[in-house]
Amino acid sequence: MEKEALKLQLKKQIVEFLNLMAVKPEDIKDDEPLFGEGLGLDSIDSIELIVLLNREYGIDIKDPKEGRKVLVDVNTMVDYIEKHRTK
Amino acid sequence: MGVISAIGNSVAENHVSLTQQKCGIGKLEQFPSKYAATLPFGEVKISNELLKEKLRAYDADVTRTTLLALHACKEAIDDAHLDPEILSLYDTALIGATTVGGMCLTDELYHDANKDEGGSEYLLSYDCASVNIYLQKYFSINGVINTINTACSSSANSIMYGARLIKQGLAKRAIVGGVDSLAKFTINGFNALHILSDEICTPFDQNRKGLNLGEGAAFLVLEKEEDCATKKIYAELTGYCNSNDAFHPSSLSDNGDGPYLAMKGALDIAKLSPSDISFINAHGTGTENNDLTESQAMIRLFDTPPAFASTKSNIGHTLGAAGAIEAVYSILGIANGEVYPNLHFKEPIEGKNLVPVLSYTKTAIQHVMSNSFGFGGNCSSLIFSKS
Amino acid sequence: MFYIHQITCISPQQTFSDIDLNILNDVADNKLKVIEPSYEGIPLNILRRMGKAVRIGVGSALPLIKQKPDGIIIGTANGGMEDCIKFLNQIIDYNEGMLAPGNFVQSTTNAVAAQIGLMSRNTGYNITHVHRALAFENAMLDAAMMLHENPSANYLLGGLDEISAYNYNIDYLSGAYKKEKISNKDLFTIDSPGSIAGEGSAMFLVNKFSKNAIAEIEALQTLHTDDIDVVKNQLQLFIEKNNASGKPDLLLSGENGDNRLTDYYTEIENEVAKNISVARFKQMSGEYPTASAYAVWLACMILKDQNIPAHAVKKIGETKKYERIFIYNNYKGTQHSFILVSK
Repeated sequence: MEKEALKLQLKKQIVEFLNLMAVKPEDIKDDEPLFGEGLGLDSIDSIELIVLLNREYGIDIKDPKEGRKVLVDVNTMVDYIEKHRTK
Repeated sequence: MGVISAIGNSVAENHVSLTQQKCGIGKLEQFPSKYAATLPFGEVKISNELLKEKLRAYDADVTRTTLLALHACKEAIDDAHLDPEILSLYDTALIGATTVGGMCLTDELYHDANKDEGGSEYLLSYDCASVNIYLQKYFSINGVINTINTACSSSANSIMYGARLIKQGLAKRAIVGGVDSLAKFTINGFNALHILSDEICTPFDQNRKGLNLGEGAAFLVLEKEEDCATKKIYAELTGYCNSNDAFHPSSLSDNGDGPYLAMKGALDIAKLSPSDISFINAHGTGTENNDLTESQAMIRLFDTPPAFASTKSNIGHTLGAAGAIEAVYSILGIANGEVYPNLHFKEPIEGKNLVPVLSYTKTAIQHVMSNSFGFGGNCSSLIFSKS
Repeated sequence: MFYIHQITCISPQQTFSDIDLNILNDVADNKLKVIEPSYEGIPLNILRRMGKAVRIGVGSALPLIKQKPDGIIIGTANGGMEDCIKFLNQIIDYNEGMLAPGNFVQSTTNAVAAQIGLMSRNTGYNITHVHRALAFENAMLDAAMMLHENPSANYLLGGLDEISAYNYNIDYLSGAYKKEKISNKDLFTIDSPGSIAGEGSAMFLVNKFSKNAIAEIEALQTLHTDDIDVVKNQLQLFIEKNNASGKPDLLLSGENGDNRLTDYYTEIENEVAKNISVARFKQMSGEYPTASAYAVWLACMILKDQNIPAHAVKKIGETKKYERIFIYNNYKGTQHSFILVSK
C-alpha cells in the first residue's frame, strides 16, 4: 500500500477505535503529537492503540518503552507498520 | 472474624501462615484460562464442590464468589456467637462488598447475554448484590442489607458503612466484609491494562512488575463496646475515611491526593496524630503507580512513615475482599502484638527510599492504619486500635 | 432525614430539559429507552469513552455539581453493563488474547461516581451502592448518615441504571419481562407475568436545610422478604412510627404490570390508601433496579406542581392537595422499600 493511503487508513482506524467523536481522520496531521497537546490521548489510549496495531496489522508490541517510541505521531506509527506488519 | 484466602481457610490458618511468612501465590487450578500457565495467582485451594459440601449450599445458582463469602461469613458469625434469633432481628445489618460478584462465571454470562432462549441456572446470580442476597437468605438476616462496590477499596467501605450504622443507632450489630473470586473477567481486564506481573509480586520494590490477582473473603462482626461486655473483643475501629483522588479512571495522582486525604481523614476521626500510628497495612499492590503514589502520600502525611508492609505479597490482590481481609490481618497484629513482613522485597523505590518491614516481629501494636485504594480514585483508610 | 434542593432526571420521558410530564412516550420492543440530551457540558474527549450508563449519570449530575457538593453518593445495580459485556465479548471472541482495556475501565460499577468526581475535581466522600433494587435506598440512607455526621454539608445523591441488549436478554430469560410486545399505555391492563424494561438516571442535591427545599425525605425502610404478611406488618410499624406529622395523601405505587406482584401492591394499597389518591410511574420509567430514584424525582415534581399527569393517576382520593407522598416499590417480590417524601 502507498504510504499516503496507509496514513489515511490508519487515521480512520484511530478515530474509529478510540471513538474520537470530534475528530475527522483527514484533520489529523501526520506529525501531530498523539498524546499531551495534539490529540490529547492518555495512557489507556496508548494501550488501545497497541491493541489496534495488533488486530489490524498483526504487530505484537510487548515492551511499553517500545510502544512509547512507536506511538509518537502518525508518521512514526506508519514507519513502524511498514517495517513490522505481518498482515 | 472469618477469613478465607490463598494462605488459609480460617482465621487460625491465616494467622499461622502470616507468622510463617507463607506466600500462597502460585498456579491457577480451579478453572481454565489462557493465563493459568503464565501468570501467578493467589488462589483459594478448595473446589466449588467441596465448598458446597462443607457449607451445605447446594442451590444450583450459587457461585464461587458467594461460596467464599459464605465460608468467611459463617466463621465470623460462629466466632461472635450470633445465634439465629439475634441474626433475624431488625437491628442486625449485613454489609458486603464485591467487584466481580457472579461474573466469576465469565463464560456462562457470555452465553446468557448473547442469546434469547434457554438460559443457564445463573440468570439471577451475575450481579454484585447476588452474593449478599444469598447470605441474607441463608442466615435470615433482617436489618439493613447492602452491597458496596468502590473497586479495590470496596470492603473498607463496607466496614465503614456498618460502623456508621451502629454509631447512628440504625443497627445494633453489623456483619461487614467483602469477597471476590478469581475470574476470567478480572484477569483479562487487569492484563489488558498491563498491570499484572508474570512473577510473584514485590510491593514497594524498585523493580516491581505489577500485581498478582488473588481471591478470598473476610467478614467481621461489629458491635458497640457497651453491647459486648462479656464477649471477646479483638480491637476497636477508631478511624475511617473515604476520599476521592479525582485524577484518572485507572491510576492515582503523582502527589497521592486521594490516599493522603483518606489517611488524614481517618486520623481526624480517630483523633490521633500521625506519630500515634504503630504500623501501616499498606495497599501496596506491586504496581508501578500504586506503590509510588502510596509512598509519596505516606511521606507527605508522616514525614518519616512508621513501620509498614503489604500482605499482597502473601495472597495477591483480592480486589473487593482486600480491605476486609487486611482488616482481619491488621486486627490479628494488634491482638497478638505482631507485625507480618512484606515478602519478596529487595530494593527501595528510587527517590522514596522507604523500606517495609522485612521480618516477622513481636512488638506491642497500639494503632494500625489499613489502606485500600481503587480504580475511579476511590481511596479509603481505616484505623484499628487496641481496646 | 434530609431535604432535597435541586433535582434532575434523564429518563424515557420529557424529564430533563423542556419538562412535560403529561406526554407519555411510547415503548419500543418492551424497552423504554432514555431520551439522551446533547451533553454540551461534557468535553468530547471524555464523552467518547463513556457508555450510556456513565453518560446519563454524568449528564444528569452536571447541572447539580455546579453547587460543589461535599461528596457523591450513587446507587446503581449494574453500572456500565453494556461496557461490561463488550469487554466480556472481547475475552471470548479474541480467546483471552490482546484486549482493549477501555471497556473494562468503564465497566466497573463505580465508574459513574468516579467520573462525576473526576470531572468536578471532587475529592470528598465518593461511594457506589450496588445492592440491586435497594441500591438507591442504601444511597439515600448513606446520604442521611453523612448529613447527620456533617450537618452543614451538601451531597449529590443519585440512582441510575441502563438497559443494555445483554442485561435485557439475561432478565428476559429469567422471566422479568413480558413475552408479548405491549404498549406502556396498557401496562396495567394486561394480565400476564413480567414487566417492560426501563432505564434512567435521577439526581438530587441534598442537605439539612429546610429553607427553599423542594421536598423532604422523612423516612425510609427496606425489606428483604417474599412474605406478604411480613411486608404488611412492617408497613403498619412504619406508618405508626411516622404518622406523628400526619398521614400521606398520595400513594406512589411501583406497580409494573407483572401479575405475579399484584397481590403485594393491592395489599399495600388497602393498607395505606383507603381514602387517598394512588398514582403509578412505571409506564413512564419502565422497570429497572433503581426505578425508585425515578419515583422520588416524580414525587418531588408532584409536590412542586401539585399535579399528577393523567396517565399516572390510578385513583383520586378525598383531597387533591399533595403534601406527603408514600412510595412503595417492590422488585421481583423479594426487595421492598417504603419511602416517605413530604413538602
